[in-house]
Amino acid sequence: MPRTPRPSATFPAAVIEQIHELSDVGHYEIRGWGAKRAVPSFDDLTFLTSSLTRYPLEGYREAIDTTTVLGAGRAERPLVLDVPITIAGMSFGSLSAAAKEALGRAASAVGTSTTTGDGGMTPEERQASAKLVYQCLPSRYGFTPADLRVADAVEVVVGQGAKPGGGGMLLGQKVGERVAAMRTLPEGVDQRSASRHPDWTGPDDLRIKIDELREATDGQVPIFVKMGATRVPYDVKLAVAAGADVVVVDGMQGGTGATQDVFIEHTGIPTLPAVRQAAEALRDLDVHHDVQLIVSGGIRSGADVAKALALGADAVSIGVAALVALGCNRSTTTGDDRSPPEDVTDDYLALGATPGTCHHCHTGRCPVGITTQDPELEARLDVERASRRVENYLRSLTMELTTLARACGKSDVHNLEPEDLVALTVEAAAMAGVPLAGTSWVPGAGAGLP
Amino acid sequence: MCGIAGLLITDPDQRPQLGALLAPIFEAMTPRGPDSAGLALYGDGVEVHKQVGPATKLTADMALADRGGTCGIAHTRMATESAVTTEGCHPFMAGDDVGLVHNGSFSNYATVRRDLAATGVSFDSDNDSEVCCRLLAEQLAAGAGLAEALGSVPDRMDGFYTLLVATPSEMAILRDPAGCKPAVVAEGSGWVAVASEYHALSELPGIDEAHVFEPAPLEVHTWRA
Repeated sequence: MPRTPRPSATFPAAVIEQIHELSDVGHYEIRGWGAKRAVPSFDDLTFLTSSLTRYPLEGYREAIDTTTVLGAGRAERPLVLDVPITIAGMSFGSLSAAAKEALGRAASAVGTSTTTGDGGMTPEERQASAKLVYQCLPSRYGFTPADLRVADAVEVVVGQGAKPGGGGMLLGQKVGERVAAMRTLPEGVDQRSASRHPDWTGPDDLRIKIDELREATDGQVPIFVKMGATRVPYDVKLAVAAGADVVVVDGMQGGTGATQDVFIEHTGIPTLPAVRQAAEALRDLDVHHDVQLIVSGGIRSGADVAKALALGADAVSIGVAALVALGCNRSTTTGDDRSPPEDVTDDYLALGATPGTCHHCHTGRCPVGITTQDPELEARLDVERASRRVENYLRSLTMELTTLARACGKSDVHNLEPEDLVALTVEAAAMAGVPLAGTSWVPGAGAGLP
Repeated sequence: MCGIAGLLITDPDQRPQLGALLAPIFEAMTPRGPDSAGLALYGDGVEVHKQVGPATKLTADMALADRGGTCGIAHTRMATESAVTTEGCHPFMAGDDVGLVHNGSFSNYATVRRDLAATGVSFDSDNDSEVCCRLLAEQLAAGAGLAEALGSVPDRMDGFYTLLVATPSEMAILRDPAGCKPAVVAEGSGWVAVASEYHALSELPGIDEAHVFEPAPLEVHTWRA
């Protein structure tokens, strides 16, 4: 009798395949997207909505406020958003110009902001985005005083959730003529951005940098500080000490256009504990909601937004989800007024992926024209149709958010609070600092854990 | 889930009847709040009485019908999210002499409580209404008048509420933006009465000639003794 093949738990097929690949090529795997493994998330929480002790708001009759003000403390022109959902920084280079423009149009249509990325600001995205956050990254590629002065906010990027402690990466196949010119780099050569800023390292020097940016923008616009979620309580307090008007915390599920797989899967903490720790740090400083908190990393639904707000965020940012709304991982292109959508499944297969599993942003061979600099591929994304999808998605997220907030009896989505939530797993209860459902038990509460 | 009752006497000759007129209004609110009852009685200073059990027991124990004064606000409680204890009974007192009774529930009180606690405010109970009361006290201490302080409650407190507030010289009422929780006011000859339900006011002398109305959402009404 032949025995049933016996797979190894330590060396399952996927691990064996990965070792074979590493042993063939002699370097780490690079890919796009965020962590693919399961981590405790907002899915592990549920809302205690109204019943007899509390009463819900009527959905179609009683107003609920979603207005979100960022940087009201110090800036002359705080960023006033109609919804607490913003588009995260993604570079022109990593994304096509068409994708950036579509995101800008969609954000403008719903009254929220979008964000530049490594490589500078394109005229198209400035024009398409009514509210544009200008990133200041370690590489300073394409970072100019002229663009700084037309920004609606400035975001100093210390790190991001997909690769806290690492720099940006843009492989040569995406460094086309325009990208190379904006970054003053040679065409077609892999670009590795710096991991540290050239002119400051710690919070003491960051303070000087923030003062400088504030002066350069005449104190008009808020200064954000964005970080990947690692030692969150300390990092948030230091960002505030350095003068941040808004702190952006990006959890380990946060995406990227390209980085080492080992970075994506094995660094940082999930967004769930990150938001709680960040809010606690701001409360400790007595600046919670005076310095606003934006949370990102794996936000997909209005439920995620509501839970992030309940745990103390003022707003969330979406990156990967916005790309998916554009059409990422769809089997067809958008089509346009002249031609119908085209099935591009074969192009996914050629990348070693399928529609629904693709993370090959780094290759520049995006089958749906989003993460590419190839004119033929970029032409597959119709800006008008793609932006309408993102607009629809942002409106849907907002409706889901207000549905839950109304059911919790809130007339303002920012009145959601941790006490509205319970956890479905012991891990999530400990990480979010809310009771396990059906109990009053918050694992770790009072243990003085950071 | 609660009942509120209040009576302000504007005619000095009627002040000896305050307790006799208020007791039936208060007791009529028992079905809305059988768990506990409480009363703040204004006259020579302010007295606060509160205990677990029905309003009829409290009015009998303190012989309310025999008491005079300028104003009384009372509450019958059906506990929602905090314990049935004397500490959880209304009225809550803001500062030395501002009394507050509340019908409804606040949906963000944990956050406001955390914010106030961070500034050094301490609490006697885990009750949502106490949070509103402490907030009011902070604003009064900062120099706001009663109408102004009460009118600013919706800026911080979310949820549904009828709030009845008294000071040694005034009584005031505020309902939530949706007008979700009830309140009926009767302005009579020499008195102003408030209750959660009209029937509680129907036996007041001169009620047929009184101006009876439901306060509109977010309108602050104040009356002077």
